[in-house]
Amino acid sequence: MSTPSDVDPAAAATGRRRFLGRLVAALQTTIGGTLGVVLGGAVLSPGLAKSAERWLPAGKVDDLVPNQPTAVMLRITRQDGYAQVVDRRTVFLIRTSDTAVTALDSTCTHLGCRVSWNSEAQELVCPCHGGRYDRTGAVTAGPPPAPLTAFETRLDDGDVLVRV
Amino acid sequence: MALGPVLDWLDSRTGYRAGLSHLLDEQLPAGVGWWFVTGSILLFLLGVQLATGVVLTMFYVPTPDHAHESVRYIMEGLPFGRLLRGLHFFGASFIVVAALVHMLRVVLFGSYKKPREVTWMTGVVLLLVILAFALSGYLLPWDQKAYWATTVTINVARSGPFGELVAGVLRGGEALGALTLLRWYSAHVFLLPACLIVFVVSHVYLMRRHGISGPAEPQAGPSVPFHPYQLARDTLAMALVFAVLVGAAAMFPAPLDEVADPTDATFVPRPEWYFLSLFQLLKYFPGPLEPIATVGIPGLVVGWLFALPFIDRAPGRRLRDRPLVAAGFAALGVGVVGLTALGLRDSPPNEGPRWTPLARAGATFVQDARCTACHREGGGGGPIEALRPLRDPEWVRAHVRDPEVLVPGTRQPPEGAMTLGQAHSVVSYMRRVRARTGPLPAVSAQEGAAAMIAGRYCSSCHMLDGEGASSAPDLTTVGRTRDATWLREWIADPALVDPAASMPAFGQVLSEDELEAVVSHLAARR
Repeated sequence: MSTPSDVDPAAAATGRRRFLGRLVAALQTTIGGTLGVVLGGAVLSPGLAKSAERWLPAGKVDDLVPNQPTAVMLRITRQDGYAQVVDRRTVFLIRTSDTAVTALDSTCTHLGCRVSWNSEAQELVCPCHGGRYDRTGAVTAGPPPAPLTAFETRLDDGDVLVRV
Repeated sequence: MALGPVLDWLDSRTGYRAGLSHLLDEQLPAGVGWWFVTGSILLFLLGVQLATGVVLTMFYVPTPDHAHESVRYIMEGLPFGRLLRGLHFFGASFIVVAALVHMLRVVLFGSYKKPREVTWMTGVVLLLVILAFALSGYLLPWDQKAYWATTVTINVARSGPFGELVAGVLRGGEALGALTLLRWYSAHVFLLPACLIVFVVSHVYLMRRHGISGPAEPQAGPSVPFHPYQLARDTLAMALVFAVLVGAAAMFPAPLDEVADPTDATFVPRPEWYFLSLFQLLKYFPGPLEPIATVGIPGLVVGWLFALPFIDRAPGRRLRDRPLVAAGFAALGVGVVGLTALGLRDSPPNEGPRWTPLARAGATFVQDARCTACHREGGGGGPIEALRPLRDPEWVRAHVRDPEVLVPGTRQPPEGAMTLGQAHSVVSYMRRVRARTGPLPAVSAQEGAAAMIAGRYCSSCHMLDGEGASSAPDLTTVGRTRDATWLREWIADPALVDPAASMPAFGQVLSEDELEAVVSHLAARR
């Protein structure tokens, strides 16, 4: 590299070294960053993904006894990575009027046990720690910190559709 | 920044600065230039392959049941997955090229000579390890290419010494299957990386021990430190290669054929380009001569490579002082390039999945209410399009005839039954859907009718395009030997043409239009 005679050659060499050092750092950072985005994106994104919600048919509104929670098993196909799995999930359908049905998740909000309907006590009861809920899902007794999760519902030509 | 004292402390406990300085401040002989970036590029590409490979193992499943689906998921479902697999897939080819370029550079500069013989030999081992990586890697997606190319590889191994033993070890079981896939996977992710790391470390250690060889003729001038002068060249070259690699991975999806099908007779296996020359070589040594191509010639080439520093012992490193070595590599290069070109010409790439008449018929059959009663979103069976066609047509037919037998508690057997041809058609359709064949193209009403008849009746006994039953002659190219007139008479009533015919008459089964449709379809098959 030709150096103008009025520039100190030692200083020019130091400057060149510094420039090349920075070039190396910049290029390696770019390469590493690109790889980092691809690899990091692939590693992190499945862990952060939210499952898509959808409307599933849960039964006929005419089959439901008014104000009596009826346990219905929903089969929810879910993509689990490469695999398609079917989650079986029990929800309680409660017909509150001719045109309205509420749907409650059967998972106890305390520690995740499966609640069931006790028709004598007219309560949803959790077998694990004695959590109790009324037919709206509100906690009436026991340790559950929150009411049962309610799903959105709609009626379509006599079919009850639940959004899960 | 209070980082200084922390680094000082770290250095006092580890001495990392001296280590770094040892790595970076190596003095290189004058005249080391762009030619000497090849090794760094190779090392960099191996690093990329290692990093992408580790992430791929988080999503890949090494079993015949799930391998293909898991690769499909990486390509289509996983964010950045297409790019990830693309980097790994094209990276393999880049590495083979980079390794060959590096080797040619070493040969060009005579760098293998005393005292660097062992450095060269570890390099030859690394070339073999890289080829083993490539070979084991392409079985893993468990697609058609993987399956058939590996079948060929294992059969090639049988022709060598202790052939059956070697083939058995490669297969891991009685036939190419789950055990094969697992051991090739294990080799690809544990064994070979371990070998690679050991030999890369040895190779780099020896390179540093003897110093970089530098130009063939020593040049006058002061030596220069590796950092930043040569490192800048290395890094620029890496960045360029990496940019091309990312570009390739972003622009072209890494190929994935249909899932491996051991019964498919229509698939023509063709290995990756870097094995094509060996594959082609096989064609010139048939029968008992085969070991010459499978073991003899490759063995001689590898042996010659290993022995090169001992054969060529003259001290001169300039290429013009070594005409025999130059001629040897030129001959090897011409041979490999020539065979690869012939191989490319002889075995055109497979067209990929396409809609056959049976697949077209299957698309209609699966819309039958007896199927969709269960096979729908949220239904007991899941949509047919989402199912993996793991079962053969015999199973499908049995399933439809009496589901209670196969899946107790499902439902009553449906009325009516499926023909074997319909079952073949449904399986064919499912395979096309899984292979992402694209939308079903529109055809004329007559061609559509012919497809339905072929699916419902013909394929119950005959083979068409590699699909269907094989109890009667293959009809794929029936138009070459039979014309429309003969076909019409035969299909309407075979007994009138040949009293000994075992095929039933279809004159009463098919309408005149249907008969016309199927006859013109078959007559056009040439």
